[in-house]
Amino acid sequence: MFGLIGHSTSFEDAKRKASLLGFDHIADGDLDVWCTAPPQLVENVEVKSATGISIEGSYIDSCFVPEMLSRFKTARRKVLNAMELAQKKGINITALGGFTSIIFENFNLLQHKQIRNTSLEWERFTTGNTHTAWVICKQLEINAPRIGIDLKKATVAVIGATGDIGSAVCRWLINKTGISELLMVARQQEPLALLQKELDGGTITSLDEALPQADIVVWVASMPKTIEIDTDNLKKPCLMIDGGYPKNLDEKFQGENIHVLKGGIVEFFNDIGWNMMELAEMQNPQREMFACFAEAMILEFEKCHTNFSWGRNNISLEKMEFIGEASLKHGFSAIGLDKLPKALTV
Amino acid sequence: MHNELKTNDMQTLESNKTTIEESTNPISLNLPDFTTDSYKDAYSRINAIVIEGEQEAHDNYISIATLIPNELEELTKLARMEMKHKKGFTACGRNLGVEADMEFAKKFFSKLHGNFQVALEKGNLTTCLLIQAILIEAFAISAYNVYIRVADPFAKKITEGVVKDEYLHLNYGQEWLKENLSTCKEELMEANKVNLPLIKQMLDEVADDASVLAMDREELMEEFMIAYQDTLMEIGLDNREIARMAMAAIV
Repeated sequence: MFGLIGHSTSFEDAKRKASLLGFDHIADGDLDVWCTAPPQLVENVEVKSATGISIEGSYIDSCFVPEMLSRFKTARRKVLNAMELAQKKGINITALGGFTSIIFENFNLLQHKQIRNTSLEWERFTTGNTHTAWVICKQLEINAPRIGIDLKKATVAVIGATGDIGSAVCRWLINKTGISELLMVARQQEPLALLQKELDGGTITSLDEALPQADIVVWVASMPKTIEIDTDNLKKPCLMIDGGYPKNLDEKFQGENIHVLKGGIVEFFNDIGWNMMELAEMQNPQREMFACFAEAMILEFEKCHTNFSWGRNNISLEKMEFIGEASLKHGFSAIGLDKLPKALTV
Repeated sequence: MHNELKTNDMQTLESNKTTIEESTNPISLNLPDFTTDSYKDAYSRINAIVIEGEQEAHDNYISIATLIPNELEELTKLARMEMKHKKGFTACGRNLGVEADMEFAKKFFSKLHGNFQVALEKGNLTTCLLIQAILIEAFAISAYNVYIRVADPFAKKITEGVVKDEYLHLNYGQEWLKENLSTCKEELMEANKVNLPLIKQMLDEVADDASVLAMDREELMEEFMIAYQDTLMEIGLDNREIARMAMAAIV
């Protein structure tokens, strides 16, 4: 069995969903009630791979909402309780979706192994970051040429280069794509220098300097609060891949020849017959999902029951290749740009 | 709008970083000072509630045995275990030099106690089991789970032993309700509507004292809801039925 731990994108949204699902006691409750609500296993689903293998899985809503981020004890409990529920249900491999893995990492939850009478087994969980990183790289490789960017001549900026996904994307771009130049941007300079040393390539730079030079920008970090982007200074055409969470870049970057792509989203070859992705506001909710969720499915299809993506900076090229091949084999594909320039759509 | 959400949230994550690391480190975890007067004062009531709770559990299981004589032996064993727990918690108070305020505790349980006695007299086994095997058990285990994280070393050891017992022993009430669900569901729902709000009131009443012991009200309530939901699920109720029952806690 595979598991997906997810949450709503806002408190209002969460209440609406709870009401739809018949969870009236929390639908009617205020934020304090939500802070005390146990995680809920809301849906069971059967998924059939393109190879014909069938697997079963569950979707668990942690009852976390982004409004709880400032209450770190609450956020921590939501994540750990949802993980405990997944383990108690006997799920082999569960992906930590949305803010779940971010909270796990930033709040250092590794030291909270014992939850009541359950000792959490980390090998049952995956951040899904390996698949997300691979999908973002594929989206870059496939979509850049479609809007007239020649990868061999392209300058690619990775914003958030030292993060788990960011560093994996840099590794792949340097070793696998033959791009002309890689610009690496991150808040902390020390890990950035280490990454540059490891890659033996890439240029460390600031966001302000990177943006006007880049043909392609991969965002895998949140944007600085004060950021103001003058879209006139961007190269045209320019491909922006929104690999962060939540997806919201398209509101900031609008303009002729600026193409914003939702990063780290995949499409399954068949309708799945679940309700949960509709709630996650996917465009095609019967087929689309976060790549991190898909990673749990792929690992279950492959009977690879291990915490495949775990900790920071452990994503190797081999792991990306493995998950990428399996992803294609079982019927997943990276989503592309929906609107293409007229000249190129024929 | 989403943009705002993302940037603000991430700022919070960043700016909280130092506090977070400090307070999640188990060694430097903020344990209260067990020797202050305010701690002991609050402890005199919390400790009394726990002792009284175990006594109530003991008495309730003995009473329930009069309604299911076949289970006399098992229920007596269970009652004996609760008495052992009572002794353990009494020792915790003694260890801190605190005298438990038993008068307060008796009053604290009086409404629930009264409802149990009425149900017992009428022979309403389902109501008795809901009060003892679901509500009081969930109330106790949730409080113990939260307490273990902030208890003094002696009490921590005792409480861990108690929790282990509770997880190991078969909850007879739960088993009985599971077997008889089809015939007892209606009474279960009705009894829940009356008694679950009492648990919420009890939690609220004790929240200030609990916070002196570094036990967070929100965490207590969440632990209770988890234990309560787990039991109802074990009994065989579905998500929507559980949601409907839990509703009684917030109105």
